[in-house]
Amino acid sequence: MTHTKTLIAMAALTLGAASAAPTKITFWNFLGGGDGARMKQLIDGYNGSQDKYRIEQTVLQWGVPFYTKVRTSTSVGQAPDLISFHLSRISGWAPANLLRPITGAELASVGLKQADFFPKLWNAANYQGKTYAVPLDTHPMVMYYNKDLAGKAGLLDASGNLKPITSIDAFTAALKAVKDKTGMAGLAFENGSPAYMPWRLWLAMIDQQGGKIVENNKIVSGEMGRKALQLMADWQKNGYMLKNPDYPTSVAQFTTGKAAFMLNGVWEVPTMVDGAKNKTVNFKYGVAPLPKFYGTQATWGDSHGFAIPNNARKPISKDHLAGVLDFVSYVQKNSLTWAAGGHIPAYQPVVNSAQYTALKPNSDYAKTAAANVAYDPAGWYSGAAGPLEAVSAKYFPAAIQGQLSVNKAISMFESEANRLMAGTPKP
Amino acid sequence: MRDTVSNAGPMSARVTRRGRARRSAALTAALMLAPFLLAYLLFFIFPVLRAAQFSVTDSSLTETGRYIGPSNYVRLVQDPDFWSSLKNTGYFALLTVIPVTALGLLVAIAVNRLILARNFVQALFFLPYVLPVSVVTLLWQWILNSSFGIVHALTGSDVAWFNTVSTAMPTVAVVTIWWTVGFNMLLFLAGLQNIPKEVYEAASLDGAQGLGLFRFITWPLLWPVTTLLLTLQLISSLKIFAQVYILTAGGPFNSTRVVLEYMYDTAFQNLDAGYASAIAVAFFVVILLVSLLQAALLSRRA
Repeated sequence: MTHTKTLIAMAALTLGAASAAPTKITFWNFLGGGDGARMKQLIDGYNGSQDKYRIEQTVLQWGVPFYTKVRTSTSVGQAPDLISFHLSRISGWAPANLLRPITGAELASVGLKQADFFPKLWNAANYQGKTYAVPLDTHPMVMYYNKDLAGKAGLLDASGNLKPITSIDAFTAALKAVKDKTGMAGLAFENGSPAYMPWRLWLAMIDQQGGKIVENNKIVSGEMGRKALQLMADWQKNGYMLKNPDYPTSVAQFTTGKAAFMLNGVWEVPTMVDGAKNKTVNFKYGVAPLPKFYGTQATWGDSHGFAIPNNARKPISKDHLAGVLDFVSYVQKNSLTWAAGGHIPAYQPVVNSAQYTALKPNSDYAKTAAANVAYDPAGWYSGAAGPLEAVSAKYFPAAIQGQLSVNKAISMFESEANRLMAGTPKP
Repeated sequence: MRDTVSNAGPMSARVTRRGRARRSAALTAALMLAPFLLAYLLFFIFPVLRAAQFSVTDSSLTETGRYIGPSNYVRLVQDPDFWSSLKNTGYFALLTVIPVTALGLLVAIAVNRLILARNFVQALFFLPYVLPVSVVTLLWQWILNSSFGIVHALTGSDVAWFNTVSTAMPTVAVVTIWWTVGFNMLLFLAGLQNIPKEVYEAASLDGAQGLGLFRFITWPLLWPVTTLLLTLQLISSLKIFAQVYILTAGGPFNSTRVVLEYMYDTAFQNLDAGYASAIAVAFFVVILLVSLLQAALLSRRA
C-alpha cells in the first residue's frame, strides 16, 4: 500500500520534472561588439540544441565595472551561475575564494579533459593545483601589416608575404624603411594616456629576453625595462610611430592606411576581415605572430575563460552546475564560431581541425602565438585592467609621447607600482 | 480651524478639538513626508554614516575590516597623492567657478536685449545643459580628436587636448563650461527680468546710462542670484568627477586626478574601501568649510 503510494508520488514527480520549464542558467559577461554577437550566436545555438537548460546572459561593461560588480555580488551571494573571466586574474581571485574550483571529474562528465587545452592556457586557469576556470581562448598581441605599404618599402618576399623580422633592430629598420620610402608612418600603436598597449609590448619584450617584471611584490625589470620603453619612445621621436589620443584612433590610423604596421591584439582581426569585405579597408593586409625581437617569440596575451563564482552562503546547486558544464562543453566544441572573432580557441581539437586551418588570416598566427603567450606577473594586483596595468597605463604613454623622460617615467611607475604591491592584498 | 471659529462652543471642547485637529494635521504631514524621509534616511544618511564608520576600518571593497582607529586619516595627511588631487580639484574650481558664472551673466544680458527670436536663442544656449555627461564628453572627444576631429581638420593642430599636461585640465574646464553655462544664463535671465523697469527709468532720469546703469542698478539687484550661483558652482566644481573620469581618467600621469577620481581609483581599482571612505569624509569636511567660508565672504559683500 505504502509502496504503491510512493511509486505514484515518484511517477508524478518524474512526470512533473520532464514537463517542467528548462533550468535557467544565469551568465554574466563583458563581451560587447563582435565578441558579444558571436557569444549570443553560441548561446542561441545552445538553447536551441536542447531543452533541459536555458542560458540567460547579462552583458556588463568590460574591465573594472564588470569585475567590481561580480566581486560585490559574489560576496553577498547574488552572483550568477557562470561568468566570463580573464585568466590573468586567476592569481588575484583564486586565493580570495571568489571562484569555485572545478574538478577533473566534473569536466570529464561533459567530455572535457586537460589534454584538450593548450598547456600554457591550462596552467593559467589553475592555481595551487586546483582548476578555477575553463579556458575559452587566448588573445595575444600580433602584428598586422599593410601589404601595399610594406611592398613599397621593400619588406615583402616574392610571394607577397612579409620577410621574416628576426631582431628588434630589424623591426626598427623596417619602420624606418616605411617612413623613408612611402612617407607614411611605420607603426600604429595605442599610446595616448591611459594606454594599455605599451604595457603589453613592454611585457613581451622583457619576456623574450628571459627577464622578470615582478619579484616579491617589487618591480625588478630594471635596465631591461628602461631600454624597452626607450625603444618605443625613440620610435615616436623619430617619426616611425604615430601619436594618437586614444585606442580607437590608433586602430583607425592603421585601417585608413596611415601606417604600415600595427601591433595590437587579435581582437581587431574581424575589423580587418569585415573592412576588406565592405571596402572600408582599401589595401591588402596580413597578420603575423609578434616577431622574435630577442631570444624567444613570446608575446603578451590574455585569455577568456568560464568561471563559476563562489557565491557566499549559496553554493551553486547540482542541476545548475550540470547546466553550466554542459553549456561550457558545447561552446568549446563549437568554438570555431568564437574563433571568427580573432581569438585563438583554447580547445586544441578545434584549432587542429581542417575548418580552422582554412580560416584566414587566423591560422597564420594561431599556433605560434598560442604556444608563446606570456601573461601578466601573478599577484592580486595583476591582470586585465587590474591595478598594476593601470599604473603602467599612466606613465608609459607619457614617456612615449615625450611628456616625461623615459627615466622619469620608469621611476614614477616603479615607485607607484611598488607602493601598490606592498599594500595588503585586498580580497 | 474655520469650524472652531463659527461653532463657538465651551472652551474645553474647543481646545480638545483644536488639539485633535493639530495632531491629525501633524499625522498627515508625517505621512506625506514619510516616503521622502524614508528614502532620505535609507539612501543618504545611512550610507553617509556607514562611510564614516568604514573610514576607521581596513575594509576592502567587499569585506568589512577591523577597527584601526584614525590610521587612515594619519595616512591621508601624509599622502602626497591626496594633496595633489586636492590641488587639482582646486585648479579645476579656479578654471570654472568664476568663468562660468561671468559667462552666464554676459550671455543673459545679451539674450535679454534680444527682441527677435529670444526664446530660440535662449533654448540654443540652454540645450547643452540637458545633455547627459556621457554625450557631452563623447561630442568633445570627437571634436578635439587630434587625428580625425573637426578642430584638427580646421586648424591642422595635432595637439592631443586631453592627453597633454598643460591642456588637459583647461580643456576639461572648457567642456564643463560649455555644458553648464546655460543653467547660469537661465537664472540670470530670471533675475534680470525681475528688476522693475521703473528702477531703470528713475536711474536714467537721474542721469545714469550705459555702464553706470549696470554698475549701480543691474549688478547690485542681481547680487542675490550671483551669490547663489557662485555657491552652487563652487560646490559642483569641487565635486567634479564624471568629466574627468571619462575624458582623461585622471591622466596624463595623475595631473588631472581630482579628489573624487582618486577616491574612485582607491575604492574600485585598488579595492581599498576603508581608505577611500576616509578620503570621502575628509573631502566632505573640506567642501563644507570652503562653502561656509565663501558664504561668509559673499554675505559680507552684500
